[in-house]
Amino acid sequence: MSSHQQDHDASVHDVLPEDHVPDDPLTGHNYDGIEEFDNPLPGWWKWLFIATIVFAFPYLAFYHGGAPGRTLADSYDRALAANMELQFAEIGEVRADAENVVKFLGKPSWLAFGKTVFKSNCTSCHGEEGGGKVGPNLTDDYYKNVKKIGDFITVMENGAGAGAMPAWKNRLSTNEIVLVSSYVASLRNTNVAGGMAPLGQEIPPWPEPPEEEETPSDQDAGSGPDNGSEETTGSDEASADAESDDPAAADETSEPDKTTEASQ
Amino acid sequence: MATAERDLGASHDDSPAGKNQWESGSDVLETFSYDDDISRKFAVATIVWGLVATLAGLIVALLLVLPTAAHGLEWISFGRLRPLHTNAAIFAFAGNAIFAAIYYSTQRLCKARMWSDVLSRLHFWGWQAIIVAAAITLPLGITQSKEYAELEWPIDLAIAVVWLGFFGVNFFMTLIRRRERHMYVALWFYIATIVTVTVLHVFNNLVVPLGLWKSYPIYAGVQDAFMQWWYGHNAVAFFLTTPFLGLMYYFLPKAANRPVFSYKLSIIHFWSLVFIYIWAGPHHLHYTALPEWATTLGMLFSLMLWMPSWGGMINGLFTLRGAWQKVSSDPVLKFFVVGITFYGMSTFEGPMLSIKSVNGLSHYTDWTIAHVHSGALGWNGMMTFGMLYWLAPRLFQTKLWSTGAASQHFWLATIGILLYIVPIYVAGLTQGLMWRAMDSTGQLMYPDFVETIQAVQWMWWLRVLGGVLYVSGIVLMCINYLMTWMSRPSQYETPVHQAPRLAKNYAGKDPHPDSQLAGAPVLNLAQSLDRWAKMGWHRRWERLPVRFTVLTTIAVVIASLFEIIPTFLIRGNIPTIATVRPYTPLELAGRDIYVAEGCYNCHSQMIRPMVAETKRYGEYSKAGEFIYDHPFQWGSRRIGPDLAREGAKNSSYWHWLHLENPQAINEQSVMPSYEHLLHTTIDFDKIPERVYAAAQLGAPYDQELEQAPEMAKAQAEAIAAEIVSQGGPVLQGEMMTFDTQAVALIAYLQRLGTDLFATPEAPAAEAVEEATEPAEQPSDEESEDVAQSAIRSDSVRTRLVANP
Repeated sequence: MSSHQQDHDASVHDVLPEDHVPDDPLTGHNYDGIEEFDNPLPGWWKWLFIATIVFAFPYLAFYHGGAPGRTLADSYDRALAANMELQFAEIGEVRADAENVVKFLGKPSWLAFGKTVFKSNCTSCHGEEGGGKVGPNLTDDYYKNVKKIGDFITVMENGAGAGAMPAWKNRLSTNEIVLVSSYVASLRNTNVAGGMAPLGQEIPPWPEPPEEEETPSDQDAGSGPDNGSEETTGSDEASADAESDDPAAADETSEPDKTTEASQ
Repeated sequence: MATAERDLGASHDDSPAGKNQWESGSDVLETFSYDDDISRKFAVATIVWGLVATLAGLIVALLLVLPTAAHGLEWISFGRLRPLHTNAAIFAFAGNAIFAAIYYSTQRLCKARMWSDVLSRLHFWGWQAIIVAAAITLPLGITQSKEYAELEWPIDLAIAVVWLGFFGVNFFMTLIRRRERHMYVALWFYIATIVTVTVLHVFNNLVVPLGLWKSYPIYAGVQDAFMQWWYGHNAVAFFLTTPFLGLMYYFLPKAANRPVFSYKLSIIHFWSLVFIYIWAGPHHLHYTALPEWATTLGMLFSLMLWMPSWGGMINGLFTLRGAWQKVSSDPVLKFFVVGITFYGMSTFEGPMLSIKSVNGLSHYTDWTIAHVHSGALGWNGMMTFGMLYWLAPRLFQTKLWSTGAASQHFWLATIGILLYIVPIYVAGLTQGLMWRAMDSTGQLMYPDFVETIQAVQWMWWLRVLGGVLYVSGIVLMCINYLMTWMSRPSQYETPVHQAPRLAKNYAGKDPHPDSQLAGAPVLNLAQSLDRWAKMGWHRRWERLPVRFTVLTTIAVVIASLFEIIPTFLIRGNIPTIATVRPYTPLELAGRDIYVAEGCYNCHSQMIRPMVAETKRYGEYSKAGEFIYDHPFQWGSRRIGPDLAREGAKNSSYWHWLHLENPQAINEQSVMPSYEHLLHTTIDFDKIPERVYAAAQLGAPYDQELEQAPEMAKAQAEAIAAEIVSQGGPVLQGEMMTFDTQAVALIAYLQRLGTDLFATPEAPAAEAVEEATEPAEQPSDEESEDVAQSAIRSDSVRTRLVANP
């Protein structure tokens, strides 16, 4: 740089003996003793700045250029479809009826599915294990709004007790309603510790799940390979004993719940 | 060592830099002195409020780990105290700090006393009065519920008057009366601060008042959210960044005794920062119902902000070239170095968090909390402490009581920050990952929200520990300041300075750098560009404060309008949803309770279009659902679950019990008890004014305008009847259950997010009544016209009025 500035630098050195002052050219500005170097912009700084500006254009063109399928809503729809596929490829969209509730009562891997739905939405009233809190105990033999197994569907969809039990039709998919119904049905007579006193009336036992569909392989798609074989035994016992009313059977029906818990 | 620095400052005070003298073109020497008393006042206020703000932070941190500690006392519940903590930290602690910095440095950079001592004092006492008003009103639940803009409209008016009328006028008049021809970069940042904060404050706080202590913003839903985060983000930019950069540009070269690294960098990073910052606000609203183009702009401009921010860091750290040995011995420089380093970290992290996919993970988690604390404790805190320790001997004209104690403060603060932010970063990541974790079957791995809170509890304890260290550092500073003050001289000296008055016309020459390309075979354009890049043009602006201010204002306002105008004008931004209806009078009252209690501090009302999120909370939120939300309640943090679709999810009795004692419903819950709502009456006669205000803001009310109290009472009775039929009490103490604020709040909660699924037709009413009877509507699709869960449609309201 110019010799004038070099001179100035030298004088600064004299004033400030400590350490050293870089040799860079000064601007000659002085504000209350503060001076400024006339250094150029650091190259990496300048080019990174330009790069962040340039990046905007392809990004805008890609996401907002009008090409279909690139909005947030589109990508959500795709993700949701993929998730539905992952969850329900095996069973498709089931009809919400008693038959299906009974059917999945015999399939522990799908009961595990129902359990997650239960944990997400039901525990705040019915308790972690279904023993009841604000809502009734689901682990005894007494029911307020259910007389037969299919009633779970209607209670789940539409609610009950003037809103004491909320309606879930808009929150849960039909499959989720069926599966959580099966799960709740499976809790019957598990009589968890610390459950609420029974409410409502005793009702006839659930119908027996159809056994012929139960093969070890058909559960795996739903729950992954690790818990398929184990649960088959549990499910067999559960389906075999579901109808009987004696206390021993009550213990047995709790089996699916336990196995699914282990799988979590 | 402090004395060595004093010498430097003093020597320049006495000899106006001869270099610039000829530029003034005037021989009239004027005599003046600086008003250091005002800087002393602000410095002491900074320390006092710093202690208050961090103690409030410590209390709210404790309330998270000991949720029942408040014993249901509403004035000290988390929802009311958290805004007190944030407002105290920003406006009381950082605010007083920047005023101390600006009053001290502006006078010296302008070679002029502040224009009016009276305005300086009005500013000081006015600001302290505002802080006290905030400290009183916020615990009382008087709030607008917009983050960092919680204060109600009378206080907002006072802020506008004190900020612009006292502070702004005083500052700009001082600029105009200055005796230094050119304005130093610190002053540019002060100008940007004063102008932009005024604009932000005014436009985010436009409200319709309902009485003295309550108001509804004129914006609703999406637009309110946009305005709020335009404000919120730029409050960070222009209250916590630009003035602190100005502070850095003055106090760092002073303390280090070195020239600033690069004047050119100052110019470029100043203008790019001012222009780009304004656009970045929508990155606070990624994946929300804000139109996607706006969030894209928010993200892209945030990325562009990275280098302009780092320009400040570079200019700070590189100014220390050749002075690093001093850093090891001088606590002032230690504070500055760590402060600037934290600035660099958080301004890298900010752009990173603004990338949509990163934000999808980080938003609503503790990550944001860690980010703001690395900025607030690291950048704002450390810069303030450094400045205060540098100022103490100069303001009190004695030696600092203990340099050792200042060093200890430095270590306490540094370790305290790390102990705070590291666990909270981990907590944020943990929460974000747990919320989205799905098992191999495509289901949530942690469906119960409270699991994700329990998982981070021990990290919250570590944060408390970090906070204790940080607060004890401030206590140490208080002692140091007190002792230094005690050894002050009996009477402060007031050095008298002389400088020539600036002539009307500038006799000097603006620099006209030659292009290196002169004579080279290139276009004239290339030469001009080259000359432009040498930035001689800017030197001219620096001696024209009015023009400089106007240009800054234009940069800020233009950038704002580019986003604001489309947000308000494009109808397609907010597609209409026919079933979305205004709140009933009782729900409106309940909503105001939700606002007053600060529920938004822990509960968002915005379900993002992500599978893990819709599985947990229900269908994602749509822009059209919020058109009657004055103010919006989307929130920014989920300490509790999202409530956007809370309506009809739990029974009214459940809500009643949950408000009374959340831990009875869920042992691990960190929600405080809201039992007082069960014991406080709703004033039905105050409901009409809310209805009128809402109607004025566009809610299509009809009979609500005449019969608001009756309708509210009828709905309250219906909900109370529901609660009773579900097992709840008829009387709450002496009071009928339906008279309680809890019932109004429950009415609001039960409405949330239900309109999307409502039918506009009458059958909804029947459906509610028949819900107990199984299977009356055998439609097995998840269609939108399902009426069962939609409790509050028009006809329901009519029915409630008809049969109370």
